[in-house]
Amino acid sequence: MKIEVKKNILASNDSIATANRELLEQNGVTMINLMASPGAGKTSVIIKAIEGAGDELNMAVIEGDIASEVDSLTIEAMDTTALQINTGGACHLTAAMISSALEHLDLAATDLIIIENVGNLVCPAEFDLGETARVMIASTAEGHDKPYKYPLIFKEVDMVLVNKIDLLPYCDFDMDRFRSIVAELNPGVEIIELSCTEGTGTGDWSRWLLKSAAPVSG
Amino acid sequence: MHEYAVTESILEIVQTEAEKAGGGQVESITVVIGELSTFVDDSIEFYFQALSQGTIAEGATLIFEKVEARAVCCECGMEFKPTNIYYSCPGCHSPVFEVKQGQELYIDNLEIN
Repeated sequence: MKIEVKKNILASNDSIATANRELLEQNGVTMINLMASPGAGKTSVIIKAIEGAGDELNMAVIEGDIASEVDSLTIEAMDTTALQINTGGACHLTAAMISSALEHLDLAATDLIIIENVGNLVCPAEFDLGETARVMIASTAEGHDKPYKYPLIFKEVDMVLVNKIDLLPYCDFDMDRFRSIVAELNPGVEIIELSCTEGTGTGDWSRWLLKSAAPVSG
Repeated sequence: MHEYAVTESILEIVQTEAEKAGGGQVESITVVIGELSTFVDDSIEFYFQALSQGTIAEGATLIFEKVEARAVCCECGMEFKPTNIYYSCPGCHSPVFEVKQGQELYIDNLEIN
């Protein structure tokens, strides 16, 4: 017997993501899905966000890693709520994992949630988590040609942070070429040049977050 | 590796649909994958062998149907076949185009006995 199904395989993830998005909207919470390859500086970028916008915004961080609590302990040390999700081998976070994490947060008292996705430029781009905005980090040490190799993620994001610009003299990274490749893939996407080590550009990053997340009154 | 989550979803849908239809053993599952989707059929097959064990889909054949990529240029309106989502219109070289087909990922049908 033949059964016609015609069902989108990612539909269950997408419907949970939609529910997450509605829940966040009801509570006036902005959620950023931060994606990058391993070692691009995701945790450093989050630390700069807490330092730059933590006084004005009530922030929480959801840490996605294949294993360990290293990152969430770093964030908790900054008096910021951190939830650790260990994916146990999976290469990306799913909407269902975020839905469970949101149950543990006081959303009414939260302005901004930053999700640190698993370090990977392929899989996270395919899974909607219910985020308000998608931000990716490309670091200079990775080279300016990465958008050619991982076009989907560069096409899907609302903001590209170019981290480690203090290493530009030592890396094969042509900023003009990078900018033009990204602009072709994702016309109009905002790009911020950043050095978490030296603090360059971190003010722009904080201002973008403050613009994206309106603080809860009171 | 993200095919693991996709395969879990396939099994969930297959089990629900097969049970609705009376719960027979699943013989085949036809999955439609667009050329521009990043999902790899060999990898879905690999996870399926492991995850389907002990379910009504154990031993079922996975049939993959590929959908050719088609796009329309937003500048000049030319229709063409992009080989990647990083691509320029062969007519006017604009990088801005709308994908009409080729990003599909769905279960088309099941055969159960």
